[in-house]
Amino acid sequence: MQGNRNALKVAMVSVLTAVVVVFTMVVRIPTAKGYLNLCDVAICFIAFTFGPWSAFIAAGLGTALADLISGYAQWAPISFVVHGVEGLLVALIVQKKGDAAVSLGRKALAAFVCIATVSLGYFALSALFISTVSVAAAEIPGNIAQSAVGFALGLAVSAAVKRAYPPVSSLAW
Amino acid sequence: MTTNTYIAGTGWLYRFDPRAKLLLMLLMCVWFFLPVSLLHLSIVVGLVILSGSTNAGWHHAWRTFVSISPMLLFMVLFMPFNVRDGSPLLSIGGFTVITAEGLEQALRLMSRFIGITYVCTLLFATTVMHEVMLALRWYHLPYKASLVVTLAFTYIPFIADGFSQISESHRLREAEDEKKKKFGQRLKDLVPTLTSALVVALRSIPNLAMSLEMRGFGREERRTSYHSLDAYHHVCIHFILSCTIPVVFWFANIFF
Repeated sequence: MQGNRNALKVAMVSVLTAVVVVFTMVVRIPTAKGYLNLCDVAICFIAFTFGPWSAFIAAGLGTALADLISGYAQWAPISFVVHGVEGLLVALIVQKKGDAAVSLGRKALAAFVCIATVSLGYFALSALFISTVSVAAAEIPGNIAQSAVGFALGLAVSAAVKRAYPPVSSLAW
Repeated sequence: MTTNTYIAGTGWLYRFDPRAKLLLMLLMCVWFFLPVSLLHLSIVVGLVILSGSTNAGWHHAWRTFVSISPMLLFMVLFMPFNVRDGSPLLSIGGFTVITAEGLEQALRLMSRFIGITYVCTLLFATTVMHEVMLALRWYHLPYKASLVVTLAFTYIPFIADGFSQISESHRLREAEDEKKKKFGQRLKDLVPTLTSALVVALRSIPNLAMSLEMRGFGREERRTSYHSLDAYHHVCIHFILSCTIPVVFWFANIFF
């Protein structure tokens, strides 16, 4: 029985990782340090639907793999940490007990944490390891816009997927 | 969608053991942060680009440079604001635009960034992905983690194709021109496409889980593998080279 559950977990994380990679690579807007994309939509959707650990692994691994495939391998470790933590924190904040709906306050807090993690995470890590403070700071507005749009769309998509495919709720762990 | 980063070739980097190459990549990334002179940093970056070009081809080297050129441009543009102290090189109306120290810092950062980029992209351009996974498994990456990455790579083209087909069919149903829509409306219209694509992807999870169980996932027996790294010879020498190259670069900086 435990083996069955493990197989389901591996299958779920693999498919969710692939979803994050596709969402990261499908829509790309070139910027100074790479590109803006829809990865936050997938990450927030996973965080809202599948729980913290799935969100952490799929978000971190998915964005890192997308960076490797796109030829931005130097950003892969930074993306893994920033987006992994983003998924984990958002999922922990919106995690609910039973069938109770997530309050508006918690959603607002999750949105704030999502935007702050992405913008400050990329700023701090890229200023520390890759560029300078001023160059890293230039990317903050773009990251704020990307994560804000990602959170809003992720929330909408999560509700729509739960209505369209109800068995998804039983997959969370 | 192409997920293959490998470029076929026969150069020395292709014959280098992937485990040793992974170690060399990590050590070189650390080396770029060591306090070395700008001249030595530039020479090492030049050598990395040269070995990359002779192995993966000049086209790959150029394409990599183009991909990071916007970032390099930003570094040049922000150069006057990074270091304000030191001897001025260029002043306009009493305002110091560039100092010697500012220029040196910008060149150092650019060299480091170019070096790290080429070292990382070269590993994946000269090593097949399943060999990278085998090398990581040799470094004790858990089996489940490598299985997740392998399965993800298998599913990426399938989900990407599904997404393209769904977005095309949604676009065909719409009467209004995409370009005339406002930004908010465009985002709103994206929700049904993303929802459909996600449902298609999520429906494959139970099937994949069942396939894994039927292939014996979770059993106690020792696992076999189709691929191995046995084809690589002189592994020990490759590991010694991986450790020696950064050390030689470091001593060259001290003595010359």
